[in-house]
Amino acid sequence: MDFGNALILVCAGLLLLSIFAGIVSSRIGAPLLLVFLGLGMLAGEDGPGGIDFDDFQIAYTIGAVSLAIVLFDGGLRTGSETLRAAAGPALALATVGVAITAGVTGAAAYLIFDLNWIEALLVGSVVASTDAAAVFFLLNVRGTNLPHRVRATLEAESGLNDPMAIFLTITCVELLKSGATEFSWPVLHELAFDFLTQIVGGAAIGVAGGYILVELINRLRLASGLYPILAVAGALMTFAGAQVVHASGFLAVYICGLIVAKRRHRARQIIERFQDGLAWLSQIVMFVMLGLLVTPSDLLYSLVPATFIALVLTVVARPLAAVICLLPFRFQPREHAFISWVGLRGAVPIFLGTIPVLAGVPSAKLYFEIAFVVVLASLLIQGWTVNLSAQLLNLALPPAPGPSLRFDIELPEAVGRDMAVFAVQEGSACTRLKPADLQAHSKTEVVAVMREGAMLNPANVLRLSPGDQVIIIAPDDRLPALDALFAPAPPKHLPGRVAAVLGEFTFEGTADIAELAGMYDFQIPPSDRGLTVDAFLERHLRNRPSPGDRLRLGPVELIVQAVEDGRITRAGIELDPLAAMPFSRDSMRIWLRHLLRRAKPMRPFRKK
Amino acid sequence: MDIANLLSPEGVIPRLHATSKKQALQELARHAAALTGLHERTIFDVLLERERLGTTGVGNGIAIPHGKLSGINRLYGLFARLETAIDFDAIDEQPVDLIFMLLAPENAGADHLKALARVSRLLRDKSTCDKLRGSDRADALYALLTETATSNAA
Repeated sequence: MDFGNALILVCAGLLLLSIFAGIVSSRIGAPLLLVFLGLGMLAGEDGPGGIDFDDFQIAYTIGAVSLAIVLFDGGLRTGSETLRAAAGPALALATVGVAITAGVTGAAAYLIFDLNWIEALLVGSVVASTDAAAVFFLLNVRGTNLPHRVRATLEAESGLNDPMAIFLTITCVELLKSGATEFSWPVLHELAFDFLTQIVGGAAIGVAGGYILVELINRLRLASGLYPILAVAGALMTFAGAQVVHASGFLAVYICGLIVAKRRHRARQIIERFQDGLAWLSQIVMFVMLGLLVTPSDLLYSLVPATFIALVLTVVARPLAAVICLLPFRFQPREHAFISWVGLRGAVPIFLGTIPVLAGVPSAKLYFEIAFVVVLASLLIQGWTVNLSAQLLNLALPPAPGPSLRFDIELPEAVGRDMAVFAVQEGSACTRLKPADLQAHSKTEVVAVMREGAMLNPANVLRLSPGDQVIIIAPDDRLPALDALFAPAPPKHLPGRVAAVLGEFTFEGTADIAELAGMYDFQIPPSDRGLTVDAFLERHLRNRPSPGDRLRLGPVELIVQAVEDGRITRAGIELDPLAAMPFSRDSMRIWLRHLLRRAKPMRPFRKK
Repeated sequence: MDIANLLSPEGVIPRLHATSKKQALQELARHAAALTGLHERTIFDVLLERERLGTTGVGNGIAIPHGKLSGINRLYGLFARLETAIDFDAIDEQPVDLIFMLLAPENAGADHLKALARVSRLLRDKSTCDKLRGSDRADALYALLTETATSNAA
């Protein structure tokens, strides 16, 4: 009894501490996940906490559940827009990319550790996947606005590559247990078969799970608080169901999330809110627990070689994998560089490091320790430099307009439309409209406008003003367009550096490309004469254009600035792209300024 | 590419009076005609033509109208500080009070682009703009524009 209470006390205390530490960390800009991990280590046997936790079995189970929830959440957040923009590159990175990363890192491990090839590949596999959580968190929490396709690729990759890394890890562990030390043809043959069942099975179960879950949510009449529980239970069922039949549960649960997000279903908002909280909880639990699990003093022995592995991974393996996988997809060199650099590792490698320990393979702790050091290094170095590298590579876009303040009201499924309350904010586009303008779309209806506590007939409102609440009924695919109207305006005064990203000058999408070519000394094919800037870019950018896309044209670069309804409405021109490249004088100046700004608050003594 | 190569002391107009974008461009064309010997109307038309493609009001109160002309043999810069800020259809919708106009010969090629990039970098620097706004003497403005160029290049 007393033990139980003490346990609750300790767990709740750690949770609270994590939240407080999170607040502090956002002040100093430290990667949040690193803080959770550090907190776990401090609470552990070598720190002031002195908690002796070394049950790898429990750690594996809790880790698997947390990971499944985080992946489900990742799937829910990955919009179909993201998938469309990045399915190809993300899939390549998640399969071939993981294999290359694992292979190259494994080769390095073979060279410096006394390991056979399978053991060496195990080292590579454990650290091969980028972490959905780490990437989503660092990109979202820091509010970095990246070119759409780069961001989409990183997000989708991190959701899709865990299954591959898990598969490689488990395969190596099983080979080692069976006594194999080398790869032979029968072994490889079996591997290929195994791989197919894992991936195909996982994907199939994920799709099925997703559809069933959506049906359940829509058919069952429940207290609204139960819908999110139903979603989580369904997700975990999908995960565990796949795992039990030796298909990839991690792939299944991510795909399940994708399907649920894509299909129209009831209780969307409450499910998303609940998932958001649950994903946070899972992150904290997973990282604190993994921090507790490690014995920091043991890390000392493997610190130097593991740091070497981290170095090879960051400087050789990841860039190589990224460049090879992205080659067919026409990314810019600077985008290659950014995706190479942001191969963030999170909880997954440490979690995978527990598998060899559980299986009892020789010198199992080594894998766990290497994984731990690699993740620490990654969070420290890459986590701290995500924004900086985006700026250095000239990839950070101007801040997007803030989110609209919207509250959804559930309507019965049969209505086919959503009701939402929008708050009118200062400077948003709707302040130039009257309510009737919002009804331009036939199925959109303004029900009422609430002003200073009174409910007004929309017909009597001449103009929306900040502080108004507008109640609207609209089909749910209209909501994003309404969001854009109700979003607060982005900051008016663009900081100089940000303006640089989108080029020196701005053109209307309807401007004539031939006139631009004459003005700025670049050549266009004769067949493109007469095209507008919009049509020209559309033709030459192989992918659906999105803000930040660039097209090199002789001495200059055209940059997509704004896209509305699939058409490029504004494009910028960069006259001297070389000066904006990494390590040019300009970017070095930014970098120095950044360093100086960072250094200031850390100065121990302040002159009075 | 130094600003001094584009801009002569006579090319600085410390107190330009204009109430509209069109009038400002007309005034600039008039001054440029005096510098280059070209017809005022020709210059104005080229500038206007360029504005049709998209505004050269690049934000933060800055505009960099520019264009290509036959009949000149080098780059000509003209800097004007407006007495009162005017609406220039700038991308950030803010009124414009500092204008750097650049005229290039038809065959200027890379020099034209480099010069434009240089001017744009110069006026992107907030402290430079603050100083330019704080002075209404031609020689002081000219010194500011050209000296920043050398210190930036270092």
